[in-house]
Amino acid sequence: MIAQVLAVLIFLSMFVLIVTEIWERHIVTLGCGLLTLLLVFGVGMQSIDAVIETLNVKSIFTLPFWYAASEAAESSSGINWATIIFIAGMMIMVEGMAEVGFFRWLCMKIAKLVHYRVIPIFVTFMILSSFLAMFIDSITVILFLAAVTIELSQLLKFNPIPMILSEVFCANLGGSATMCGDPPNIIIGTSLGYSFGDFIQNTGVLAGISLIAVLIYFYFAFRKELAKSAENVTDTSAFPEPKDAITDRRGFVISTIIFLCAVVMLVTHAQTGLTVAFIGTFIAAVTLITSGRKAPKLLKRVDYKTLLFFIGLFVVVGGLEQTGILNIIASFIGTISGGNVMLMIAIIIWVSAVASAFIDNIPFAATMIPVIKSLAATQGVDLSILAWTLAIGTDIGGSATPIGASANVVGIATAAKEGYIIKWGKYCKVMAPATIIVVLLSMLLIYARYF
Amino acid sequence: MEQQIIISIGREFGSGGHEIAQKLSEIYSLPLYDHTLLDEIAKKTNLENHELRALDETKRNKLFSRTVKGMNNSAAHNLALLQFDLLKKKADAGESFIVVGRCSETILKENKGLISFFILGDKETKVQRIMNLYGLSEIEAQATMYDKDRRRKQYHNSFCPGKWGDSRNYDLSINSSKLGIDETVKIICEYINARTK
Repeated sequence: MIAQVLAVLIFLSMFVLIVTEIWERHIVTLGCGLLTLLLVFGVGMQSIDAVIETLNVKSIFTLPFWYAASEAAESSSGINWATIIFIAGMMIMVEGMAEVGFFRWLCMKIAKLVHYRVIPIFVTFMILSSFLAMFIDSITVILFLAAVTIELSQLLKFNPIPMILSEVFCANLGGSATMCGDPPNIIIGTSLGYSFGDFIQNTGVLAGISLIAVLIYFYFAFRKELAKSAENVTDTSAFPEPKDAITDRRGFVISTIIFLCAVVMLVTHAQTGLTVAFIGTFIAAVTLITSGRKAPKLLKRVDYKTLLFFIGLFVVVGGLEQTGILNIIASFIGTISGGNVMLMIAIIIWVSAVASAFIDNIPFAATMIPVIKSLAATQGVDLSILAWTLAIGTDIGGSATPIGASANVVGIATAAKEGYIIKWGKYCKVMAPATIIVVLLSMLLIYARYF
Repeated sequence: MEQQIIISIGREFGSGGHEIAQKLSEIYSLPLYDHTLLDEIAKKTNLENHELRALDETKRNKLFSRTVKGMNNSAAHNLALLQFDLLKKKADAGESFIVVGRCSETILKENKGLISFFILGDKETKVQRIMNLYGLSEIEAQATMYDKDRRRKQYHNSFCPGKWGDSRNYDLSINSSKLGIDETVKIICEYINARTK
């Protein structure tokens, strides 16, 4: 009992401290993780086994961690090292791509292909945002896309806010389509043993249909605003050439090949047996080897704070799991839904979406994975349906408010730097209805497909 | 004036810091930047001047904002950064000016021409001044004073490592209640003249 109380207190304190930003979030999760090890496992449970299981280090030295004949699930208890190694590897690859100008080139190339016309740029950038976010973290996608959007808005004299908001939404939506698109999906995939292909066939289909809906929604929401401010530019000779964005031609070609290799390896990993931990390590190693003298620079740019944040977070959630708190939550959901699976789906998708609109979706998803696992075991529900529901709820819900997802904050701050200030009202007026539409649509599609 | 001079005035509400800044502006024929800085920013933003005024010198609400890689979604936070950026650009361009608040003593610290002051005052004198200026009762004036100072302190301390009003952050801290506005201005001018000799 004391261990359960301590685990809940530490978990809630962690959430409050993350929101208040008194300390950086990785300090908070690491500190709370340490308290979990000492107080929950040490004082409360007096179990060294719980500590070993939560730290989960020995899993790294097993063959299935790197190569699995069939996609094996990581232990959902404790630190999910596969997620951390994969994210670190992708960070190195993305830094390599950014260094040679890949993202800016891609954005400028597409703008040029549509002859610098505002509405076509608006539509293609939304699609581009979704596509890139399927493989690359949404922060990087929005950092580059928003910067190019502002640059184009100054050349073409249009208000960049509608376009940036649409790109942010589509980045979050695109992230929900694949296993590697958004951290909650990586955690869900590695914890429950789902492959890239599983995600594409399930959340990918939901995201694809939703993308069509949001393209129509944003077009009608912003068409007048974009049309009235846009001028017909006939002379584009003074516009920056896409090729000028490339800082290193050889590096550009290599980065593109590495990116395509990463995509192929991810798409086929269920067939090849290579795990995401292997893919992350391989991609990072190839990027570092081919970048030569720039390798230390790329390593320096890796966001170690986020990786440490994950480590601490997994330990704190491990505390909740080891003490049985998450089973209690699962049986509570089971009870209020009365065993009705459709109601269970509705609860998971809407609670996940609303929670993710206000709090970080990563700790939420990490906490919910053992909950849905327990629900599936006790209520006899297909675990995969709950997993896709959780993924969509957490990934999409974050779009509703300015603080719901990292991409939102980055998009708003990038626009503000150029004088385009986006307040809560302006943001939520457009983004909250879009979020509700997509969550509702996804819920109906889940009902239609799986029941 | 050949030599660049930037006079930063931090102030307690009711201390007459703004009036002192206006008098210095007249004496040295320098532009005064306070909330007027927002007019310049309003030209390049999507918000109206009155919307910017509501966000000016206010601290971001932590419940409704989030930081990612050093970036924040708060409108108040981003407006402050726009003002800091504008002040830095003016300072880097060699412009001489007077600036009231806006964390200027910290933001422009690296500029050799910066001379920073903090104007404080006795509680009774400040309350009396607020009552006269805004036609408030004593209780209302006191409440307004506490509220404004609390906001300024929170705003300042959320951006600067040094605390608002801490004399170690300023070249000279002076109590305007002891000598009155005009005499305080004279003392400040003597200090500025000594620094710019």
